[in-house]
Amino acid sequence: MTARGMTENRPDPAMRRRHWQEADDLLLVYRETMGRPPRLGDPPGAAAAAGPQRALYLAVDGAGRVTAFNGHVDLGTGIRTALAQIVAEELDVPFAHVAMELGSTATAPDQGGTIASETIQIAAIPLRQAAATARRHLVEAASLRLNRGTAELTVADGTVRVAAEPELGIPYGELVRGSRTALTLDPGAPLKPVEAYTVVGRPVPRVDIPEKAVGAWTYVHDVRVPGMVHGRVVRPPGAGVDAGLGDRLAAVDEASVAHIPGLVAVVRIGDFVGVVAEREENAAEAARCLRTTWHPLDGLPDLNRPEAALRGNPSTARTLLDRGDVDRALAHAPARLDRTYVWPYQMHGSIGPSCAVAEFRDGDLVVWSGTQNPHVLQSDLALLLDLPEDRIAIERHEAAGCYGRNCADDVAADAALLARAVGRPVRVQLTREQEHAWEPKGAAQVMDVRGGLDAEGGPAAYDFETRYPSNGAPTLALILTGKVSGPPATYPMGDRTAVPPYAFGHARVTVHDMPPIARASWLRGVSALPNTFAHESYIDELATAAGVDPIEYRLRYLDDPRAADLVRAVAERAAWVPHTAPGTHGGAGDILYGRGFAYAVYVHGPFPGKAAAWAAWVADVAVNRVTGEVAVTRVVVGQDSGLMINPDGVRHQIHGNVIQSTSRVLKESVGFDATGVTSREWGSYPILAFPQVPEIDVLLVPRPNEPPLGAGESASVPSAAAITNALFDATGIRFRELPLTAESVRAALDPPRIAGPDAPPRRRRGFLAGLFGAGTGALALGLTLLPWRPAYPSIERPDPAAYSAATIAQGRLVAAAGACLVCHAGPDGRSFAGGRGIETPFGTVYASNITPDMQAGIGAWSYPAFARAMREGVSRDGHHLYPAHPYTSFVNAAERDLQALYAFLMAQDPVAAPAPETKLRFPFGARPLMADWNALFHRPAAFADPARGPDWNRGAYLVEALGHCGACHSPRNALGAERRGAAHLAGGFADGWEAPALTGLSRSPLPWTEDDLYAYLRTGRSPRHGSAAGPMADVVASLAPLPDGDIRAMAVYLASLTGSGPAAAPVAVAATALPASSLFQGACASCHEGGAGGDLVPLGLVTSVHSAHPDNLIQAVLNGVRAAAERFPAPDPSAPPAAMPAFRDTLTDGQIAEVVAYARARYAPGAPAWTGLEAAVARVRGLTPHAGW
Amino acid sequence: MQDDPRPIADPRLAPARHALTVNGRSVTVEAAPGTRLLYVLRNDLALNGPKYGCGLGQCGACTVLVDGRALRSCAIPLRAAVGRRIVTLEGLAEGGRLHPVQEAFIAENAAQCGYCLNGMIMTAVALLTADPDPGEAEIRAGLQANLCRCGTHIEILRAVRAAAARMREGAGPGGEA
Repeated sequence: MTARGMTENRPDPAMRRRHWQEADDLLLVYRETMGRPPRLGDPPGAAAAAGPQRALYLAVDGAGRVTAFNGHVDLGTGIRTALAQIVAEELDVPFAHVAMELGSTATAPDQGGTIASETIQIAAIPLRQAAATARRHLVEAASLRLNRGTAELTVADGTVRVAAEPELGIPYGELVRGSRTALTLDPGAPLKPVEAYTVVGRPVPRVDIPEKAVGAWTYVHDVRVPGMVHGRVVRPPGAGVDAGLGDRLAAVDEASVAHIPGLVAVVRIGDFVGVVAEREENAAEAARCLRTTWHPLDGLPDLNRPEAALRGNPSTARTLLDRGDVDRALAHAPARLDRTYVWPYQMHGSIGPSCAVAEFRDGDLVVWSGTQNPHVLQSDLALLLDLPEDRIAIERHEAAGCYGRNCADDVAADAALLARAVGRPVRVQLTREQEHAWEPKGAAQVMDVRGGLDAEGGPAAYDFETRYPSNGAPTLALILTGKVSGPPATYPMGDRTAVPPYAFGHARVTVHDMPPIARASWLRGVSALPNTFAHESYIDELATAAGVDPIEYRLRYLDDPRAADLVRAVAERAAWVPHTAPGTHGGAGDILYGRGFAYAVYVHGPFPGKAAAWAAWVADVAVNRVTGEVAVTRVVVGQDSGLMINPDGVRHQIHGNVIQSTSRVLKESVGFDATGVTSREWGSYPILAFPQVPEIDVLLVPRPNEPPLGAGESASVPSAAAITNALFDATGIRFRELPLTAESVRAALDPPRIAGPDAPPRRRRGFLAGLFGAGTGALALGLTLLPWRPAYPSIERPDPAAYSAATIAQGRLVAAAGACLVCHAGPDGRSFAGGRGIETPFGTVYASNITPDMQAGIGAWSYPAFARAMREGVSRDGHHLYPAHPYTSFVNAAERDLQALYAFLMAQDPVAAPAPETKLRFPFGARPLMADWNALFHRPAAFADPARGPDWNRGAYLVEALGHCGACHSPRNALGAERRGAAHLAGGFADGWEAPALTGLSRSPLPWTEDDLYAYLRTGRSPRHGSAAGPMADVVASLAPLPDGDIRAMAVYLASLTGSGPAAAPVAVAATALPASSLFQGACASCHEGGAGGDLVPLGLVTSVHSAHPDNLIQAVLNGVRAAAERFPAPDPSAPPAAMPAFRDTLTDGQIAEVVAYARARYAPGAPAWTGLEAAVARVRGLTPHAGW
Repeated sequence: MQDDPRPIADPRLAPARHALTVNGRSVTVEAAPGTRLLYVLRNDLALNGPKYGCGLGQCGACTVLVDGRALRSCAIPLRAAVGRRIVTLEGLAEGGRLHPVQEAFIAENAAQCGYCLNGMIMTAVALLTADPDPGEAEIRAGLQANLCRCGTHIEILRAVRAAAARMREGAGPGGEA
């Protein structure tokens, strides 16, 4: 079982191309066209200038097998199956004998991008003609061989037979064998009549699902090429905004990733930054660690409420329709009705972040890609890399569903740049955060309607204006490398379905074309979905104002008979009850019910566009008038798609459209701050999940004799208006801005608002915070008490051979109990070379190098010098050490233990690298002040108690002397000294983490028993309290060499400290009126409520949730909790194997504050809410994360 | 973040040998202990069933069975996987026969792009093993942290109900391998 040598299972594209160009035993059908399909932004005439094109569409081989080629690709819609149905039908071959090759530039025709769901409607036509051309040729060839007229022949299952003598027949393969015949597609070749169809129009199981269900399908993510290495990219800071990029990168610090194993390269080209490593996890780590510095980026307007930003964006008006006299009609309308509708920025939200593999072979580039637009990508890469197009092959593989355009093209270009830089095949996987942030969004849109009722209650006029920021989104690498620069282009794409379907006498439609604001591209329904939201909401408003049933009102002005048929059929199927006012569906308790209608024919493509399938919805909603939550409970959806190639496929597409568009309407809006996108994971961009999926009743209008129409988007288009019209029916309130989140609906229904978590920030003292906190008081002590101590003379490093192995082994245990490495670990994480910074409010105290190096370490220290440092906090040269070094505890250490520790340290390998010098800010950098401090606070404590047993006394020694637990777990006074007495071990702060109380003051919901403490110290995890993280994880790791008896002794002693203090009662989480947090639900609940990480300690028991301080919970969210799973994997199979991921690079301060506040409110409901959370998150984020775990 | 004058090596990155049990076979993998199991399954063992979706345990695309539980392999460190029975989508079939859940997903055409399919099938296997006769609400709740963007929920729910019926009739292996 190994990946080595496993390759992508298709032959090389050049070989495949040569096969079709040269092999014998083939019948081939080529299509000749003039020019290629236009690219977005082509100069006029560029497409035609490509000259005559000859492209292969179909091949029949000597075994009778058929390969058909199509430039448009399968995006999860089942096109691969539907196209194969068309070919099998027209050629009369078994469905299983048809293979589709989609979108590979080496073989498939250039049909432009796969957009507007036009594959079946447009791209399939030449394919069908190619099959008809081949069929005619094969029948004619058989006619010669069989010596019968073609009229006497029939075809079935790929064999031509004499109709009257069925035993006389020749299979296609036999007709093909022995020659190579190239035909030119004849659009006039006779097509099969629809009545004779046996494959098209029937449900056919999808060809790809059996392989996908067993993990045998090769998605682009699964492509492996021999010698492949792994790349990650580092994007600029303004997430999802490409304006102004190209020269914003100031510096890349390669030293910041020098420690990454197997690092191959750091690549920088303009603003493009990538890393390559032998292993994927190391590439990911390198991308995370790489330090980059950027020049400031331009700020963004508020895109969370996009109306003002869109109105303020410079635009050009384009009039699509001007019928009658709109201005005059408006001036005379007896009742005016002017409305504005607002659509938010939304995401495609592919479940799999984009991925690509690129390889240069003898200067030719092969890119394995999930692109929707293979030939367009080929052109882009030619520009990016200065290569002719014919030296670039795009091998198209399926990827996660995309619904428009995700980052597939971007990552393909990234992979090409990295492969060129390192001279090896490179696979680049974008992260979830990058896909969310940088995918070109579905644009926000603002629609204004001015109109009203005439004297008869009819529409007086319809003056429609729509504002749509453009969606060109050049492939990102082109911008980052400066290949494409200058102001972004404006494309006229706001016009889809901008003309309403109703016969308004006076109507004007104006599109305001404008450049992009955030990076955007087409998303399912493009501008048609928002435009229809306005059209279909507005006509509902007119109907209500006129006192007419909304469907009846529409039918008065709908002059397309096919549309009217569909509307009536859907109304009947839904048992629509005509009504003229809201509230017809009543309510129960806090729940109100409503029902709404909407209709659309999706008109896509450049204006005036082409119509795809007709669709209509009846939506039923339930709304909670207290919480504002809206559920779509049932949708009756009708669609007229003309001839349906695969009715099952159409039905599935409709289901998908209904569910996805319901999700968009109810939940979806991209979050932004002033720099860019803040929705970088699924919690901050929630989508509809199983419990919220409505019941869906699909009505397919059978029209087998009408041409097939695209079914991939139409059923989305009526969604928003149907749902908001239903919400109006339920509540009597019109919602004209999406999404319909609980917050926005609650606000409109106007119940009391629920207070947010934040209050003014409050500073809290951290470790050493109080050291000079009294400021003048400390200075007032004066510099009298031996500020400098005499130096011990330096010695030659003692020969470790002078110490017995037993002594050194004993010293190792002392170092373990003292957890020296927690602070003194070197850059390799193991040696005692020091260098770790310990944060204090006054600056960073760096742990010293305590290896026996003569210069950098303590090799020149005699034992008396070492003992003085340990017990009195004075360095060999006489300067005082800051009490970050816990000499106040070590003063109680046994002489034999200190000697053993000295021997152990002297036996280590010397490390010559000096630790950084600690430089605290003035006046705190004055080490002599420590002398005053020591005089006040440094004195041995007595803790032995002969009345207690030996375990207790051993535990006390380990905890109080060697373990110096109080250094972190005791609060410190104003001068930074550990407090004694009742405050001893009553909780403190260290290195940005709270060290909770070990006494009766513990806030743990369950008391810490001796067994709990033992488990925690031994395994890093207590199933009743939580896991060790941060510095405590290092302590647990350090304690590992200690015998179980010592750990038990510590547990005995510590358990005795908790006394009978009242531990908080464990909290049963009640279903309270707490408003649900969609952020917590999406970001945290899968593991913390759904068990997807194993049996985690319930949040209701986790100490950090109950603490007075939010710091540890914030630390956990920012930096993850990994030690329990990956450092101390429990032999206990019931322990959860998952490690909590770090959300530092994923969530904003505000988002972390929100989940922390929610966890507190939900899981520690008796505890007071934390205040100033966002500031607290910012503060903790600013600390250097505790290294490693 | 404060400037750190020297990068601190992360001991999680130091490779070590780990013995795993995957789909009933013993394998040894040399990688850092903190390496996510997902990367090991895909890159070292060439198993394409589990998919990278978020790396945050949110979406479920990477789900595998760990001692019979459906867990997120993107959040499981390699070291924590040692000593546990790991089963991926590729390991569900027994004796050449697909798992009834796989059969039901194929029969119901319960995929559009299919990227989430691994997580749906693995979660459904664990769900139906624990509760052979779940109600509609239980199925929906059991799958609620598995995200599908194509909107295949209706077909997936139908497949899970069909699989439950098949498994109750004893049509195939009753649980994970």
